[in-house]
Amino acid sequence: MNVNSPNFPNAVPTTIAEPLVAARGLTLTVPSDAGPVNILRGVDFSLGVGEAVGLVGPSGSGKTSLLMLLAGLERATSGSVVIDGTDITGLGEDALARFRRQRIGIVFQAFHLIPTMTALENVAVPMELAGARDAMDRAREALVSVGLGHRLTHLPGQLSGGEQQRTALARAYAPQPRLLLADEPTGNLDQATGQMVIELMFELRRAHGSSLLLITHDVAIAERCDRRCHMADGVLS
Amino acid sequence: MKLAFRYAWRELRGGGIASLYQFRIVLACLALGVAAIALVGTLRASLTRGIAEQSAALLGGDLAIDGSAEPFPDGLRRMLAQQGAQVSEVVRMSSLIAAPDGGRTLINLKAVDGLYPLKGAVKLAPPIAIGVALAGHGLVAEQIVLDRLGLKDGDTVRVGDASFHLRAALLSQPDATANLGLFGPTVLISSGDLAATGLVAPGALIDRSLRVSLPAGVAVASVVDLVQRDFADQGFRVRTSAENAPGVDRTIDQVAEFLTLVGLASLLVGGIGVAVGIEAWLDARARSIAILRCLGASAELIMGVYLLQSLALAALGILAGLFVGGVVPWLAGDWLASLLPVPAHFGIYPEPLLLAAFYGVMTTLVFALAPLGRATSLSGADLFRDATLPAHAPPRSVLVLVNVVLVLALVAVAVRTSSQSGLALGFAVGAMVTLALFRVVGGLLTRVAARLPRPRAIALRLGLAALHRPGADTRLMLTALGLGLSSLAAIVCTEANLRAIIADQIPVAAPSFYFIDIQPDQVDRFQTILGKFSSVRDVVVVPNLRARIVAVNNIPAAQFADNPQAGWAVRGDRGLTYAALPPTGTQLVEGKWWSADYSGKPLLSLDDGLAQGLGVGVGDVIRVNVLGREIDLTVASTRRIAWRSLSMNYAMVASPGLLAAAPHTNIATLRSDPGQDGAILRAVADALPNVTGIHVADILATVAALVRKLATALAATGAIGLVSGGLVLAGAIAAGQQRRAREAVILKTLGATSGQIRLAFLVEFGTIGAVGGVLAGLIGCAASYAVVSRVMGEDWRFTPLPLLATLAASIVVTLGFGLLSTQGALAAKPAAFLRNE
Repeated sequence: MNVNSPNFPNAVPTTIAEPLVAARGLTLTVPSDAGPVNILRGVDFSLGVGEAVGLVGPSGSGKTSLLMLLAGLERATSGSVVIDGTDITGLGEDALARFRRQRIGIVFQAFHLIPTMTALENVAVPMELAGARDAMDRAREALVSVGLGHRLTHLPGQLSGGEQQRTALARAYAPQPRLLLADEPTGNLDQATGQMVIELMFELRRAHGSSLLLITHDVAIAERCDRRCHMADGVLS
Repeated sequence: MKLAFRYAWRELRGGGIASLYQFRIVLACLALGVAAIALVGTLRASLTRGIAEQSAALLGGDLAIDGSAEPFPDGLRRMLAQQGAQVSEVVRMSSLIAAPDGGRTLINLKAVDGLYPLKGAVKLAPPIAIGVALAGHGLVAEQIVLDRLGLKDGDTVRVGDASFHLRAALLSQPDATANLGLFGPTVLISSGDLAATGLVAPGALIDRSLRVSLPAGVAVASVVDLVQRDFADQGFRVRTSAENAPGVDRTIDQVAEFLTLVGLASLLVGGIGVAVGIEAWLDARARSIAILRCLGASAELIMGVYLLQSLALAALGILAGLFVGGVVPWLAGDWLASLLPVPAHFGIYPEPLLLAAFYGVMTTLVFALAPLGRATSLSGADLFRDATLPAHAPPRSVLVLVNVVLVLALVAVAVRTSSQSGLALGFAVGAMVTLALFRVVGGLLTRVAARLPRPRAIALRLGLAALHRPGADTRLMLTALGLGLSSLAAIVCTEANLRAIIADQIPVAAPSFYFIDIQPDQVDRFQTILGKFSSVRDVVVVPNLRARIVAVNNIPAAQFADNPQAGWAVRGDRGLTYAALPPTGTQLVEGKWWSADYSGKPLLSLDDGLAQGLGVGVGDVIRVNVLGREIDLTVASTRRIAWRSLSMNYAMVASPGLLAAAPHTNIATLRSDPGQDGAILRAVADALPNVTGIHVADILATVAALVRKLATALAATGAIGLVSGGLVLAGAIAAGQQRRAREAVILKTLGATSGQIRLAFLVEFGTIGAVGGVLAGLIGCAASYAVVSRVMGEDWRFTPLPLLATLAASIVVTLGFGLLSTQGALAAKPAAFLRNE
């Protein structure tokens, strides 16, 4: 996918041999009182194995909707999404859930930790769902790796924003996903903390070899990715 | 205070319908509890007024004089005539009515004269006058007689030796409650036809009653005094319309008080819903409260603003309850009156409505103070965090004190307005102890769940973890279920015990038949008839006399009329028999039986309970009046009688000799196989029409049916508490639904399947249901034990089936709610929760 944008002079078009993610002709239309709203209009998107892509664009352009479709959390009106050789557009809810737990990690701007579970339990959940017997041990290791070994038994309400996001990062990476989706992970954090979280994210990505789709408003963060895409009005460019 | 009103008004105005929607569970809980109490109070007032207005008709006159089997003395009639009174005589007895095809059924035969009824009217179908219906050997019978025997207007039926023409169905009689009886539906004939039936024989079991209507200006009390003074030795029982149906009044009062307590219990459970609802409503306003605090509002102002709003919104629920409980019965009065066996005057009765409203307001205050107290602990700093109601803010001591005072006031009013203050206090304490127990067990459950080893299966782990997570609803849900389920379990266990007492203990030894009014010269023929039936066995024939106790050790019997153990024996005639040998199974407590050939002064063997009530023992003298002659009987022994066996026995058994010469009838009991019962009854009734056969199984079936109806009614009222608990459960689940949906979305995002999420919820709710069911079952057993052993004086037995049913009901209810909650959570769209915009 070539990028033509004056904002990204360093963007280099690459040819992706065997993409981890291949989305073709994605459209998303939702009904409203004023008539159908076209959120995505025929988006084609690919993401290579181990590649990091920064997705930028104004608010309401459809970035999060694209992320939701790739995560299997929303159903496309038309088009297909193939991840790691599996066409997820035809899968049922439970099959999507099973697929997600094994292959996809997600980090949200609002962290979305389960408020009544400790940090350790939050991180362990996806591995427990997959039936891993060493879920707790792996969760402990993940939290230690993000510098929260001393916060294992704390509830989200007892953690700062940065700590919550690091916990969410640990949760996303602990199952060793092939794909990490991050939706403005620093949006609720101050600059310094956000910077730390981004450093951690890229470090973990390198360590795990995951592919990364990162939605961000921050140009500097986007430039750290291998490739940048721009979305406007439901169209990817 | 003015500021508090102003701010409260602004918030309510701004909230509008949304506030009402948020308060829906609070409104529903209050409305249900208040409606139950208001409805009971209104019904009670309506019935009390209706009975008072028609008391004369219910009695059958301004006063009733109940006598014995002997005709009333002419002197009494003369005295009443001198007072200008109208007098109508009613004669009642048990008998059999025979249909043209030979079918028979036990009836309560009532012979009335031309003046009957002195007050009120008899309703017949077709609607003809009673005098016309009974003329020319006419007869009217309750519909159930017609249905049982397949009779229709114009059929010829037999009562005793006489034939009658069925003229109409008896729909209602104004004095139906004046003499309530168990043995059969009522049949009316003219008193002029009674002699032809051959049923009025010496010693027959007959009740006579004079109904008296006095002219204006003659005081009832003066006539009563005259009767009791001039005919003191006759043992008449005189009732006035003011005290006519004390049994009915007592029953209404007792039932009303029980139902009021049930209503209070349901309001108590509803109070939990009030607390939950107000907490959730305040939580949604936490930000506004924090802003007010930021701007300088005091804790007292916050309390005032939100207390006023809570009360205003609660008032809507209370008003709804008052409408349902107080106004609807008035609107539906005619229809309701048609369903009731006693008259009722429906209207708006302020007193029960005020009481119900008071309970509603007090419940609101008691349960709202805690969350309101927590709201006042919010500070302006909470604006900069997520402003939510602090879950565990320590209660302020003044609020705790106020709450204690409110609870005491609530209990005090409940006790004060009850005629059985001990019961009301016990009920209140029991309800509070039950609630407290469920809270404690809820806390224990969360601790145990937290300490259990982590199960491997993720769904099980998530489900158990949900029980002890911070903010878990475990304790609340258990408490909400607990009271209603416990009272239902208590009712079910008690009813099972009652059925066991009646069904299991009695019929084993009970005879198949009682035959009454067998004349001495009919005994041989009676035995001959029975001899033709192969299954007849254990025939016992004993002489039966009617006797009235007139004095105990020279103390007039009237002084024992209010004695709880002996009063029944001195009111009117009682059965007396004589025997050379003690009845089978006699257990002597004191003294000894006379010899088989004894022929000295008359001796008496007395029921031990009666002896204790009269305060007599061996050697004491009881004077009885038998057919106008007074006889002194010296107590020779006292016996413990197994009344429940239904075998033949008498409270008073005299030595033979003097009494053998007195006119009397005989009573017989026998056992037979059910297959021959119908033929036996027909054979005896055909040959001896004056003899009445009472099929014991039919009576037991009637009693069992009454117990079943009572149990159903009790269970239905107990279900009110369960409905209240269900509302609270729904409220608790609704309050936590947003959280559950968010968790479900996150779990789905992390890879949980619908089945795993569903199973986790079901484990959580199923555990609560199981623990709640077991605890409710145990509490129900304890309450049932107290009722059966302490109140009824019976042996309590453990009945597993009702307990299992309670447990099953608990699990089904909680799983049902759990499923509803799960479906709601699973249906939540991820985008709604996960989007940043």
